[in-house]
Amino acid sequence: MDVRVPRLAEGVESATVANILVSPGDWIEKDQVILELETEKAVGPIPSPTAGQVAKIHVKPGDEVAVGQALITLAEEKTAEKAPPAGKKAPPPGEPKAAPRAAAPATKKSPPQERESEAHAYESASGYPPPASPSVRKIAAELGIDLARVEGSERGGRISLADLRSYIDRLQQGGAVPAAAPAKPAPAIPPAIDFSRWGAVEKKPISLIRRTIGQRMHESWTTIPHVTQFEDVDITRVTSLRKQYGPALAESGKHLTLTPFVLKAAVAALKKYPIFNSSFDDATGEVVYKKYFHIGVAVDTEAGLIVPVLRDVDKKSLADLSRELNELAERTRKRKVSLDELQGGSFTISNQGGIGGGHFTPIINKPEVAVLGIGRSSLKPVVKDGKIEARAILPIALSYDHRVMDGADAVRFIMDLIATLENFPEQELKR
Amino acid sequence: MEPIKTDVVVVGGGPGGYAAAFYAADKGKKVILVEREKRLGGACLNYGCIPSKALLHATALIRELPASTARGIAFPPPKINLDKLRAWKNATVEKLAQGLAGLCEKRGVEFLQGRGHFEDSQSLRVETAKGQKFLSYDQAIIAVGSRPALPAAFDLGNKRVMTSTEALELEEIPKNLLVVGGGYIGMELGTVYATLGSSVVVIEALSAILTGVDSDLVRPVMRYAEKAFKEVRLNTKVGKMATSGKQIKVALAADGKQKEESYDKVLVSVGRIPNCKDLGLENTQAVLDDKGFIQVNAQMQTADAAIYAIGDVVGGALLAHKASKEARVAVDAITGDHSSSENVVIPAVVFTDPEVAWCGLTETEAKAKGIPVQVARFPWAASGRAMTLDRPDGLTKLVIDPESERVLGVGIVGAGAGELISEGVLAIEMGATARDIAESVHPHPTLSETLMEAAEVFYGYPTHTFTQKKRAPVP
Repeated sequence: MDVRVPRLAEGVESATVANILVSPGDWIEKDQVILELETEKAVGPIPSPTAGQVAKIHVKPGDEVAVGQALITLAEEKTAEKAPPAGKKAPPPGEPKAAPRAAAPATKKSPPQERESEAHAYESASGYPPPASPSVRKIAAELGIDLARVEGSERGGRISLADLRSYIDRLQQGGAVPAAAPAKPAPAIPPAIDFSRWGAVEKKPISLIRRTIGQRMHESWTTIPHVTQFEDVDITRVTSLRKQYGPALAESGKHLTLTPFVLKAAVAALKKYPIFNSSFDDATGEVVYKKYFHIGVAVDTEAGLIVPVLRDVDKKSLADLSRELNELAERTRKRKVSLDELQGGSFTISNQGGIGGGHFTPIINKPEVAVLGIGRSSLKPVVKDGKIEARAILPIALSYDHRVMDGADAVRFIMDLIATLENFPEQELKR
Repeated sequence: MEPIKTDVVVVGGGPGGYAAAFYAADKGKKVILVEREKRLGGACLNYGCIPSKALLHATALIRELPASTARGIAFPPPKINLDKLRAWKNATVEKLAQGLAGLCEKRGVEFLQGRGHFEDSQSLRVETAKGQKFLSYDQAIIAVGSRPALPAAFDLGNKRVMTSTEALELEEIPKNLLVVGGGYIGMELGTVYATLGSSVVVIEALSAILTGVDSDLVRPVMRYAEKAFKEVRLNTKVGKMATSGKQIKVALAADGKQKEESYDKVLVSVGRIPNCKDLGLENTQAVLDDKGFIQVNAQMQTADAAIYAIGDVVGGALLAHKASKEARVAVDAITGDHSSSENVVIPAVVFTDPEVAWCGLTETEAKAKGIPVQVARFPWAASGRAMTLDRPDGLTKLVIDPESERVLGVGIVGAGAGELISEGVLAIEMGATARDIAESVHPHPTLSETLMEAAEVFYGYPTHTFTQKKRAPVP
């Protein structure tokens, strides 16, 4: 059997072969990692679905592979040796012989949940191209469309003009994929100017991950009407709590940063205003409210921005979050984070404070509907009870999708978040 | 001499060439059509399809007489005025040729009579009655067609040995006629001469007449031929021929035995060969294949980017309508429109008695290529229309992909099969399923119903015949 590139993640169609961990002739166990694939965001191990002997390796490190492509061929133990009984006519190539009843167009065979993401490919035992009228075939040929990829809705799988149109529509929508993160704008497309006229230049191609970030930022920025709400938070109390509890936690290896506090405060606000923990389905006009609180945290890596997701933030203690966050960020920087860990976020926090920064306008991590950007806190004079005091002030910015919520919602959300942070409950640190 | 500048030159004025010239002119190109004969129409109009069909029609009445007598309407024996028959046939050809000349003129296509010879990729020398002319063009389309093959051993320089071209001249009705080759030309012209009174013997080297056609479609033709011809000899080869007074002596070999027979006339119909010689192709980049046909891509472009080739000269099925389709493909390619000769369904019709017609995948081809198909047959004996025509000797069949129920091929034998096949072409081109045909109402009583009923046979519920097998409905 062939081990093929599995479905990697929503919207991830290809990957690059990073390492091959087996050689031809090797006996491998079920679930043994046979190679590692590098996608736009992470390096992921590919386990073997079965035990067997490696007969052939079809790829080499650096190869770009697509979902469904054969990676290695395994000779399975014993079972593979069995040939069809002699004298019996072998089934025609390409298509397992099905009972006539089950004989439906190939298009109907894949389970519905796979239909969305897996490209259609027409197959016929007769070897004929897919059925379509000459006029439809001509249009397809003119547009350079392979009709084998178009699903026919008519009798016998025939492709109508409407089928072709909807396929073209889908192609044009293309790349509407989730994941990714806020902050830094997409790289500008270099204009066709010869810069060397004014001095020495150097040209370097951008990386796959850079390109992906760019595509997703552009997608989010152009499809979501963004509004960003700026606020300042007095985190003097949080700072003193960190000073009070930090050293004890540091001894057990848990470095207490600001982010876990913000995570907790954000989840409290998300619980109160569920619309901020939702996704918007433009096609159906539905808002999907999530009953879980998986928060993406933007991590600055050498390759670019990556957003791993912390699961069930509401159920974890501040100390555990602290440890988990450090560990996840570390693995992300080494690009050892799995694809699963990059998916399923319901809200994102981008903290630039470690580097510096004031207010900024983060871009929503589609398909989420809001993102919180955090700058660096500094001591500022604040009037409190009629007196001027030096307080630790943190600039925060909330970008939200104005299609599903309004300014009033955003202000209520952010005020609630500020209140939580300014009066952070001490018992959270004792859990 | 200053060459004449034009956009497109078409060499050859047959159904490929004139179709290309007309279409290119309709699309705004300046076109010169070079044809060595005085008349347009090529082999098809002048020495092929048209005169042979005219003669088959004219003689059909005679073939009908015995059946008519049996039905109670008898006529005195026919008197054949060969000069009149020939004149009518020639007039028919002439009328069509004049029509083409008129269409050519209306479009502003310049007709240049002469032999074309390529000087290089961009220029053609034409030898006309008024001396040489040089044409320089952007693109050329070669459509010079094919001619009947006459192997050297048969080429005695004796008019008694004919190819289809001479046979269609209808100089006389020989008492004995030997037809060498049981392909469609031999069978059609054999039918004409047999009806006019010749004693016809057909010799075929292979084990069947109309080789390549499904055997169930050939059977009714064979049955007719066995009755109307003196003999149909299969697995028989012609060794050599010699003039022997007013006859041709022919050495035949069958079953390892040699035989010598004499015939008044011999029709050699052993295939056709492309007219690629003396075209000056060696001065261009165009390449021939090992059978002497010009190699082209799906856009009919030769290895020389400026030169296209269409029709018989590129091989495949040597059929007029194939050439005409290829003409459109080539011109579309020249004008930058998308077109391809790939996956085009080319129907074929043999105008024997009864006619045979087919399109798409044949049962024979499906078997050879291992393509799984289900064949649904409807015998004409069950057709009311066929019975009223007194022609129950027919069969309509559909070659169907059992999985998708898509119609992949259609085969028909029977009176007027040639007029029925186009529905099959449309079905295949449209990707129709057998159900599409079964559910389209066909008028009663017509022979076209046999297509609908064949589709019904596939599902197991034809009205006018009975089948045990019922196909499970597709969910």
